[in-house]
Amino acid sequence: MRTTSTFKEHTAFIGTYAAALLGCGATCVRLEKNIGRIASAYGIEVEMTIMPRHIHLFMRDKSSGTSESAVIEPRKMPISFRCNTLLSRLSWEIADGQIEFSGAGAALQRAVSQPPRSKELVTFMVCCASASFCRLFGGDLAAMGVLMLSTCAGFMLRCHLLERKVDIRAVMFLCALVSSVLGATDMLFSIGSTPEIALGTSVLYLVPGIPFLNAFSDVINRHYICAFSRFMDAVVLTCCLSAGLCTGLLVMNAGMFR
Amino acid sequence: MWTQIFEDAFFSAIAAIGFAAISTPPRNCFAVCALIAATGHSLRFWLMDAQFGAGMHIVPATFAASFVIGCLSVFFSPMTKAPAETCLFPSLLPMIPGIYAYKTFGAMVKFVLSSNSMQSDYYFSQLSSNGFTCMFILICMALGSTLPVFLFGRIAFSATRRKFL
Repeated sequence: MRTTSTFKEHTAFIGTYAAALLGCGATCVRLEKNIGRIASAYGIEVEMTIMPRHIHLFMRDKSSGTSESAVIEPRKMPISFRCNTLLSRLSWEIADGQIEFSGAGAALQRAVSQPPRSKELVTFMVCCASASFCRLFGGDLAAMGVLMLSTCAGFMLRCHLLERKVDIRAVMFLCALVSSVLGATDMLFSIGSTPEIALGTSVLYLVPGIPFLNAFSDVINRHYICAFSRFMDAVVLTCCLSAGLCTGLLVMNAGMFR
Repeated sequence: MWTQIFEDAFFSAIAAIGFAAISTPPRNCFAVCALIAATGHSLRFWLMDAQFGAGMHIVPATFAASFVIGCLSVFFSPMTKAPAETCLFPSLLPMIPGIYAYKTFGAMVKFVLSSNSMQSDYYFSQLSSNGFTCMFILICMALGSTLPVFLFGRIAFSATRRKFL
């Protein structure tokens, strides 16, 4: 294996892989297993410290004893299970010797540069999900309709602002504000019989559920620092969306401010 | 009863598909997410139903449903060739205690703004009741769903392997 590529190339590849996997929202345990698998296939021993904003990798060549240390920043990208799947698959292909080192680099690039899904389709799916969520909590048809509209406006604004690289906390606040103001119309115009449900569920599509669940998974695997960081990130985002909801209700004189 | 269960399963499946779309799963995982979410959420509905079901409290019912969702996600992952979390996390999202969180937040605001002790006592009890229920539901969801991933780690972490062992 080492005849076609050098130790440095392998460590650079492992670093890029780790940055991509952490960036796409993988849990710490998956990161450890996948990187360990690749390193082992290339005859490298690896020790890693996974921190919230960087990964510290210490790699040692088993045959020559050469070592290298790298501090890598996670790749900035939205949570993507498709990327996570492709990267996990790649780690097995490397471990099972099904892919050459040059092919692995190309596969890594393909995994991280997957085109995003149609924005309109995703918006429509999220709107349907919000309306269904409202129904699960006992909302009527009017509340479901209002919620579809408020989610549509909020989600489109979210996509628009994120594309313009606006800070995620400000995005959360603004989207929650817009969604709650529109969600309050059910109460304001007495359209249906469950306006409280429409209000309560109007910002749920913004709840950072995956960071919360990742944090719990990291706790189980005793990655406490990373878990705490992910948890705090999720709490801050939840506070931002709560502030947006609160401002929206205050503006509309609805919900808890009525 | 069956109509209610099917309605619950149907809407939770749509919710799971929609929320899954935000985190970009592989295309073949959408149907599995829907199936797992429908099974888990309708199981919780049945467990909580006092008349025809087990009449359980929402917290243990959530734990049981989350555990089933976790197990199904792990066992379906070799079929989808995707990590177990791909179907697990979106399937859990319909169980998020949104209304409890909203009521907790509302009670907190009213508690802060209340002008007399009787009002503040009432809102504090609302705040703690809804807040603790919300917190325990979230803990049970996270714990119940991630346990199978570690219990059946061999399946969960080699699901993406071409030649699954």
